[in-house]
Amino acid sequence: MINEPCVITVESVSKRFRLRAPGGQTLKSAALDMLRAHRKREDLWALRDISFRVRAGETLGIIGANGAGKSTLLALLAGTMQPTTGRIQVRGTISSLLELGAGFHPDLTGRENVFLAGAIMGIPQRRMRERYAAIVDFAGLEGFMDQPVKHYSSGMYIRLGFAVAVEVDPDVLLIDEVLAVGDAAFQRKCLQRMGEFRRRGKTMLIISHDLAAIQAVSHRILFLDHGRIMGDGEPSEIIGQYEAFWRRQNSQDLRREWGTKDVVITRVEFMDQSGRPCERFDWGEAVTIRIHYEARRPVENPVFGFAVCDEQGRLVHGNNTQNEGVRLARIEGPGVVVLRLGSLDLARGGYLFSFSVHSWDHRVNYHRLDNHFPIAVDCDKPFEGCCYIPCEWAVPGLHPGGQEKGAGPCT
Amino acid sequence: MGLCNDIVRRRELLGMLIRRNLKIRYKNSALGFLWTLLAPLSLIAIYALFLGLMRFPVRLPMLVTGIFVWQYLAMCLGDSLHAIVGHGNLVKKAAFPRIILPLAMALANLTNFLLSLIVVGVYLAFAGASLPHLGWMPAVVLTHLALSVGVSLLLSSLNVFFRDLEHLLSVLTMAWFFATPVIYSLEEVAGRFGAGWMTAYFANPMAGIVTVYRHALVGAPLPGGTALALSFAVAWMVLVAGVVIFQRLQPRFAEHL
Repeated sequence: MINEPCVITVESVSKRFRLRAPGGQTLKSAALDMLRAHRKREDLWALRDISFRVRAGETLGIIGANGAGKSTLLALLAGTMQPTTGRIQVRGTISSLLELGAGFHPDLTGRENVFLAGAIMGIPQRRMRERYAAIVDFAGLEGFMDQPVKHYSSGMYIRLGFAVAVEVDPDVLLIDEVLAVGDAAFQRKCLQRMGEFRRRGKTMLIISHDLAAIQAVSHRILFLDHGRIMGDGEPSEIIGQYEAFWRRQNSQDLRREWGTKDVVITRVEFMDQSGRPCERFDWGEAVTIRIHYEARRPVENPVFGFAVCDEQGRLVHGNNTQNEGVRLARIEGPGVVVLRLGSLDLARGGYLFSFSVHSWDHRVNYHRLDNHFPIAVDCDKPFEGCCYIPCEWAVPGLHPGGQEKGAGPCT
Repeated sequence: MGLCNDIVRRRELLGMLIRRNLKIRYKNSALGFLWTLLAPLSLIAIYALFLGLMRFPVRLPMLVTGIFVWQYLAMCLGDSLHAIVGHGNLVKKAAFPRIILPLAMALANLTNFLLSLIVVGVYLAFAGASLPHLGWMPAVVLTHLALSVGVSLLLSSLNVFFRDLEHLLSVLTMAWFFATPVIYSLEEVAGRFGAGWMTAYFANPMAGIVTVYRHALVGAPLPGGTALALSFAVAWMVLVAGVVIFQRLQPRFAEHL
């Protein structure tokens, strides 16, 4: 694919939106604006200095939070909007599922709308007539084509829109969050059709919030945030980067630091089994955590504690030296406390660690760092919930030969 | 010229949109076209009655021609507000020359107007008018179309940015209606103004257009050559201004809808 020609070239593209007062501009407000010396205008840069290329036959996934600029980017590629600066080049015909039924008129029949949609996309009517049967078949709407589409259900509407977009056989297909519409059967049909499309060497650009689905269909992923490219590369790598990015963002919101600071936690190190610093662990792995502290005055009987929360801030587990019967009689100056976790039996996802040091009677908090330390857990073991409890299944009376021990999901 | 090529290349879309506009207006009913005659016919009835009661001279063939000709422009004025704004979804989601939308609207209305002109012609023939100067028709219909398209382009694009245009438009349409010899004839104006003022009066392109239609269909006298040339020139200038302004504004349509 490296040698294929570029179908899409985007060169330092930026897009600015002028934000206006709610309700839009009116002649009256325009006239008033002209009288005012300083016009109050706010700019929003939906995209900033974006550059990338897409080669023929490539499937590019685009991920990012709402407002990251994904849909603006597709609108620029589809040609419905013009970039403020920069250049976009697209070779070949482009069909976009942005327009799922966009051109449909409620008073016209399904058949009339199919031909109108074709005309809007610039497909000759002759080609549309050849494709018509396949479109109706794919949408599964035989018998409904002579009814006005206003009598269609929303599912039928979307199915017809998708059918038109894929059956017109464009060189480039733009897909904006359609993996989330339609029933399961139709979604399977869509994914199948997208796979076929890919095999035939067509180019696709897909926006989705469904990370697993987008990772499965994309050759390459582009990660946008606030209109900038944060990552562009191999799917699993970029999705890992995206998840880590959100872990950091989320932990920002949940972060809290407080206490008298008589004892300060100066640094915390996470290490894997071999003692290497690490922020990403596998399920079941042992973790060593070194908590560096500094006691600014002599402190008697301090208690060190830790807690693990999931990304929503729900407590998964918490414990301290007191509960575990470890007593630090008196500390002064700098020092280290080491915490070993035998096995990290957590589901795949991000977790936030908190650490604290407080008095024996819990009355005085010397220093607390809540949700300060994000880590990620990779887990391919299937189970439900956020925490794994070691389990073993047995079926008394069944011949042991056909059963693989402990292989069944523990649900 | 690139624009003309674009339109020619997308002629299938233009044709389909024209047919769609007509179809929706007629709502697939056989009486559909007759319904579109209702508005001008009731206007004619009201003005004939009103003018008669006020003891103004009523010449029905003149009134009928004037109202039908005016009605085409009025339909375009009203529809143009929605030509872009009413297709927001389409403009935001699909790329095609935007000018096709107001153009399809104006051409669908033209089809309607030409059909109603046949009805008017039949009536005039029965009323004893001899349709004396039909040779003028192509030129005047084209100029009428140019003016209507030009105004539609201006209104449809400006309405994207200034949504209160609607309120202003109803006042302006009324003023324009009375500045055009629709319910009165040219001779009634001519007597009251000097020659210089009469030429200025024809800066209103509709003054020239209505007068030429009446000349062609009813045999009313033509104004002077200068006045007529002025009217027609202004009509075509409106078209040019409409195209230029529309094309300047259209790249920003999608983000303002």
